[in-house]
Amino acid sequence: MIAGKQYSLRRSDGITGFLFVLPAFILLLVFVFIPMAKAFYYSFNDYMLVSGSKTFVGLKNYADLLQDTKFLNSIKHTFYFAVIVIPVQTAIALGLALLVKPQFKYTGFFRTAFFVPVVISTAVAGTVFKLIYNRDFGLLNVLIGAVGIPKISLLSNADIAMNGVIILGIWKAAGFFMIVYLAGLNNIPQDLYESARVDGASKLQQFFYITLPLLKRTTAFIIIMTTIDAIKLSGIVFVLTSGGPNSSTETIVYFIYKTAFDQMQMGYASAAAFILFFMILIISVIQMLFLRSKVNY
Amino acid sequence: MLRIIHFLAMTIIAVLCLLPIVWMVLGSMRSYQELFQYATQVNLHLLIPVKWTFQNYIDVIFDDQNPFLRYVFNTLFVASTVTFLVLLINSLAAFAFAKLSFRGSSVIFVLFMSALIIPGEVMLVPNYMLVNNLGWLNSFKGLIIPSTLSVFGIFMMKQFFEEIPTEILESARLDGASWLQIYRAIVLPASVPAMITFGIITFLGNWDAYLWPLVVINDDRMQMIQVAIANFTSMAGTEWTKVLAANTIATVPILVLFLVLQRYYVQGITMSGVKG
Repeated sequence: MIAGKQYSLRRSDGITGFLFVLPAFILLLVFVFIPMAKAFYYSFNDYMLVSGSKTFVGLKNYADLLQDTKFLNSIKHTFYFAVIVIPVQTAIALGLALLVKPQFKYTGFFRTAFFVPVVISTAVAGTVFKLIYNRDFGLLNVLIGAVGIPKISLLSNADIAMNGVIILGIWKAAGFFMIVYLAGLNNIPQDLYESARVDGASKLQQFFYITLPLLKRTTAFIIIMTTIDAIKLSGIVFVLTSGGPNSSTETIVYFIYKTAFDQMQMGYASAAAFILFFMILIISVIQMLFLRSKVNY
Repeated sequence: MLRIIHFLAMTIIAVLCLLPIVWMVLGSMRSYQELFQYATQVNLHLLIPVKWTFQNYIDVIFDDQNPFLRYVFNTLFVASTVTFLVLLINSLAAFAFAKLSFRGSSVIFVLFMSALIIPGEVMLVPNYMLVNNLGWLNSFKGLIIPSTLSVFGIFMMKQFFEEIPTEILESARLDGASWLQIYRAIVLPASVPAMITFGIITFLGNWDAYLWPLVVINDDRMQMIQVAIANFTSMAGTEWTKVLAANTIATVPILVLFLVLQRYYVQGITMSGVKG
């Protein structure tokens, strides 16, 4: 009797559970899995959106992409961004976290101040920095001019324009990773420092022998997140430089956007998107391997 | 002595973080001539307006070509609707994964989690073509509905719901409450902080959305604020004070929201970082 009642409960519970998941599951199928499968198929086709013409070309799109200087350059620009931003931003984020870690009355204010750029939207930050970087009227040249550095024109010189993107990228994102580091710092047991102090370890020794090793997992997480963010870089480029000057700041996502929506070459753009996807996939796999090896305190 | 150096270092960095924003807000309150007249050397008026004016705001708000208040309203509407739907749909799913056993639940959960590694940027082309086929281009539907799934949200809420003691839910169940009633009367009230955290992350993410509105919306009157600002800057390239006013209009609401709810936002980041 009781067993029977419980059985019927479980049965209806099972249906309820499925019904609760159903809306999200439909969205997952319709907006993630089916489009991905379709795009994978399109990536083997010469598919023009305007004419609607679609012919199967096999791996031609992929082969062409690997010889397309525009695409290869977009990868180069993306990796240049990543190579600079990953170490610099990680170091800045850790530095900021260490600065705001002590609980003085005023550290709360500084924590908020360092974090505000994260909340500023990409479009606003992009347009404001466009003016800040202006050669003649920009804040940047006024400030560096005051200490005697000659004027630079960050956004009109193809050799250095990517650095303008990098500075804005770090300004906008460092506060985010500061918070992640702060959480990591707060997870380190305080008594470790106390016993180190008793043993006569200096502040610097404490940092290199306690703080850094115990932040390994956090650092690995931040580096992987930053790498993926760097590979997906697009918003800042759209607003700040529109890929210019002379295509010097075009990134992979920017290339995909232009191929799909300016030239309407959906097959070619899909193939590029899958190359981007495989890059991110490889990094995610590395991430999982990394984070599985747990560091125990 | 160390305290002073510490304080000074933080002050300098705070200035670097805040200067562009302060300069934007103050610059929006000066005339065009003034902005450039004082923009060549360091002095007090590099930042502080000589003659304060709200003309830029009047020009921007009452401009028929670029109705910024309308863009703000469009964005508020889309971001709020998305946030509401995201919270509803994904918390229900997370609740089912955390507390209800049903056939295939672990397989379906793995399917969801596998979608975590597919970033939105990769989905740009396929989702555009889908929305195009559905006839949703140039509609809020096309912005809202594809954004209502949050796999990360399901993951995060599931972690949270697992902390709720199962005995409470089971006893309510034995008293004859349906799972939907349990969800509304017990689970939702217990998870308000987590919902606020998840909600504010979703809202800010959608407020900041640029790429998706750029491809979905062509009609000027339906445009989102971020795309409108980027367009406005390239069109009105020389009218910088108006650009700064438009930027300020787009920033102040979100900054206020953040300052009020920052505890929850920071919590969300911490959770994603610690859980990895």
